[in-house]
Amino acid sequence: MSLKDQVAVVGIGLTYAAPDEAVAVGDLAILAAEAALDDAGLDRRDIQNLAWATGAGDPGGMAAAMGVPEVSFSANLTSGASGAGSLMLAATSINAGFGDVCLSVISFQPIPAGGARTSSAYRANFVAGPGAYGGAMAAAPEDAFTTPAGISSQGATQALIANRYLHEHKVPREHLGEVVVNQRANAGDSLTMAEYLSAPLIVGPLSAYDCTPDFEGGFSAAVITTTAARARDLKQPVVLIGGAVTGGTPSHATPFQMPAASFGSSGHRDLAAPLYEMADVGAQDVDVALIDDDFSPMVLMQLEDYGFCDFGEAGDYVARGNTRLEGGKVPVNPHGGNLSRAYVKGLNHVFEAVEQLRGTARNQVAGADVALVTGSPASIPLSAVILRKA
Amino acid sequence: MTTTEPAAKPFRNMPAPVLSDPYADARTQPFWDAAKREELVAPKCGNCGTFRMPPTRFCANCLSEELVYEPIPGTGTVFTFIVVRHPLNPRAADYVPFMPAAIDADGAPGIRFISNVVDCEPEDVKIGMRVKVVWNHVNDALTLPFWAPA
Repeated sequence: MSLKDQVAVVGIGLTYAAPDEAVAVGDLAILAAEAALDDAGLDRRDIQNLAWATGAGDPGGMAAAMGVPEVSFSANLTSGASGAGSLMLAATSINAGFGDVCLSVISFQPIPAGGARTSSAYRANFVAGPGAYGGAMAAAPEDAFTTPAGISSQGATQALIANRYLHEHKVPREHLGEVVVNQRANAGDSLTMAEYLSAPLIVGPLSAYDCTPDFEGGFSAAVITTTAARARDLKQPVVLIGGAVTGGTPSHATPFQMPAASFGSSGHRDLAAPLYEMADVGAQDVDVALIDDDFSPMVLMQLEDYGFCDFGEAGDYVARGNTRLEGGKVPVNPHGGNLSRAYVKGLNHVFEAVEQLRGTARNQVAGADVALVTGSPASIPLSAVILRKA
Repeated sequence: MTTTEPAAKPFRNMPAPVLSDPYADARTQPFWDAAKREELVAPKCGNCGTFRMPPTRFCANCLSEELVYEPIPGTGTVFTFIVVRHPLNPRAADYVPFMPAAIDADGAPGIRFISNVVDCEPEDVKIGMRVKVVWNHVNDALTLPFWAPA
């Protein structure tokens, strides 16, 4: 069963809360959902399906809190699934006939200003085992084989993959810098290569610039999807879901057994072929790419996995200006991405893709008809979606 | 179960101790018993012969629960590594830099040991370099394998 062009994104909404604002994560999500419904010209009573990536609370609880009269479909993806993945779930639910209108949302609890977490490099990972860094969490006996090594953050895990990638393809750190500098330029921030290179490595080969800052405050993004037929009668230009996939190779998630051939990759090469086949497009057709960018090396690896350039050549590809907003062949993250802003799990990338295809983006890519959005590199399920102008 | 306070540093550039006993069960204890004798063993499916690390209950290849520990030479190659320079926890501050690594151990194809390269400087560690196991006797209960330049 192909999802090709069956379902459309018809509404998008974003909300923020200041770090000192006491806003519940669920309430922030309702505000984002209201904004997305308003954008679509629909009402909360039209919602029948709830399709979440992770990190948005309980769908049923939110339906009750915002007065959705009856729910036909309610599901949540697993693990580190990202915004692109929630569109796969949304399109699947509508295409299967469970209901016509689906809400997808992601919401973040405000982090207090000056809180301990300041960068994705420090997001805890593998922190298990009695006494591990003072923790009292119960641990499986298997954990004793990793915990002592001190690989205790997502940044550290990403750095293990990145170092192998840099080694295999003889990629200099300047190429990671190109990703960072390029996205900062798109976001309107000035960062020079010299500044990038002079930053201390916090978990070599990564510096803080290679990791997303944590968002100090609350954030929520919501997307409304419906059938392509119904979309034509609504407020906005129609943006179709050309293809949507989730999945990947499970062994990709563990450094213990990950095959050498795919270790230095984002894991997305498994998804690219079925995604392009479903949407009947190729890399050459993509006008703008919203690449999940929690860590800079994953941007390079995904450019290769999605066929924008050969394996090992993404650094050169970026360095030659192919991904720049101004004059680039495939502008990547024209909104600046998470690297320039904050870690917000991917629905912001969907939001930006929809604005690009509507022609209303702040940093508009001229003639953007086809957008690629990717999510969650290097953790299962990976996700990706092709969006296109009807 | 108590946490070992940072104390003795038998190796250069080793990570802060986070375990004071192997936190094992009957399935994993043979690995730690061998470590105390300074013998490196690799967990392997007793049915189909697939190495499995960590030694989970079921073999991902054949779902057998059979598990054997095969002695291996204690030499290997650095597959990838990182240099932790900024400690996640203040208690690790006295231990940076240290170099977590994934090691391809000779005699155990298909798995890697997630451990540390010690007794050298960060800039001396290279992917592909040969290493040998060295033993960190944390206390009477726990001995941990590290890897040093061969």
